[in-house]
Amino acid sequence: MSNHQTEFEDFFQASWEPCLRAVVAVVGSQELAEDQVAEAFARAWASWRKVRHHPAPRAWVVRTALNSGASWWRRRPRELPLAGHDQTASADDLDTGLDATLLTAIWRLPSRQREVIALRIFLDLDTATIARQLGIEAGTVRMHLSRAVTALRRELAPAKNTEARQ
Amino acid sequence: MNVHDNISDTDVVLAASDSLSGMRVGGPPEVAAIMARGRARRNRRLSAAAGLSVAAAAAVTAVTLGLTAGSGPAPALGTIRTAAFTLASNSNGTATLTINPTELLDSAALQSDLAKYGIPAKVTTGSLCISDPVPAGFSQVVSSSPAGPSTATPQAVAKPTITIDPAALPAGTELSVGNFQLSSGQQQADFLLIDSSSYTCSSTPPDPNSLPGGYGPNDGIGLLYGGPGPGGS
Repeated sequence: MSNHQTEFEDFFQASWEPCLRAVVAVVGSQELAEDQVAEAFARAWASWRKVRHHPAPRAWVVRTALNSGASWWRRRPRELPLAGHDQTASADDLDTGLDATLLTAIWRLPSRQREVIALRIFLDLDTATIARQLGIEAGTVRMHLSRAVTALRRELAPAKNTEARQ
Repeated sequence: MNVHDNISDTDVVLAASDSLSGMRVGGPPEVAAIMARGRARRNRRLSAAAGLSVAAAAAVTAVTLGLTAGSGPAPALGTIRTAAFTLASNSNGTATLTINPTELLDSAALQSDLAKYGIPAKVTTGSLCISDPVPAGFSQVVSSSPAGPSTATPQAVAKPTITIDPAALPAGTELSVGNFQLSSGQQQADFLLIDSSSYTCSSTPPDPNSLPGGYGPNDGIGLLYGGPGPGGS
């Protein structure tokens, strides 16, 4: 077995789950995310000589996965029920034990904000790396992150208020 | 004071991170399968670089398909002849489909007959079904080469050949064939792979010289045939 093959296998085993979570956070469907992430890893192996030198190969996989289904998941949020009717089928599509309210709030974010959230939170990338991945300025990343966090905070507040009253 | 004011950015980030903590991940797929898929993609890319472009097929005047069964050799069905196409099995497990450019394609009959050869297909007239994302593997499943009468004479009923190897058809995919009657009098047939569980159909014919958005030059074949144009009858 070649070193490259061993290296890719190790990368795949270690990265599958975090990449999957990041993509689920953006596309809102575990089944779709699994397909897209599998395709992205296949592409990573096809271009492993390049990807292995990438500064953030997991981010490469996530971006590739998202790009492979870009138009689908960008349409997706507009198909979700509006606020106030937000116990959505999408959140329920996933296994139980998830924070459906917060997930729904993430999926309702604009696509770029969802990408930033996914790369920051689920891949733990810093602002500069996210900026390089998305081809945008670091300041723009901070702006998207700030707006996303603000929007998510609004979703968290009612729950916290409920807790406070109890 | 509203609790809203007391929720820090860190709280939000942690909560968002925790929101997927309960997701059950059934383990990654077999890495060997992923690598095989990657190798297939790399091989297709190399083939494309070697000049196996399907773009030249966009101006042909008739279609012949060579087919093999999806999970093994094609059944020995002999030859099925209709006014619009002929579908014949070959001894090596392949089958050959020839579309008659002077007749309108009967999509229901073609879909049914392809199924008899073990070829899963979605054949439509006046629309084309596509998937997003595009399933990989088309150029391994389908290839084309000229056959039959020369296409040099515009009025000739030429019969180029498209060979399909459904053994290479990725799991969960099928062939999408969309046939359009154009205002020019020609017919346009587009051949793509789709995800059997996720596709949409559009009544707008793709540009005859290209494929639908999202589909690259190795992801499908578009053909013009019949009518008053080159190769028409």
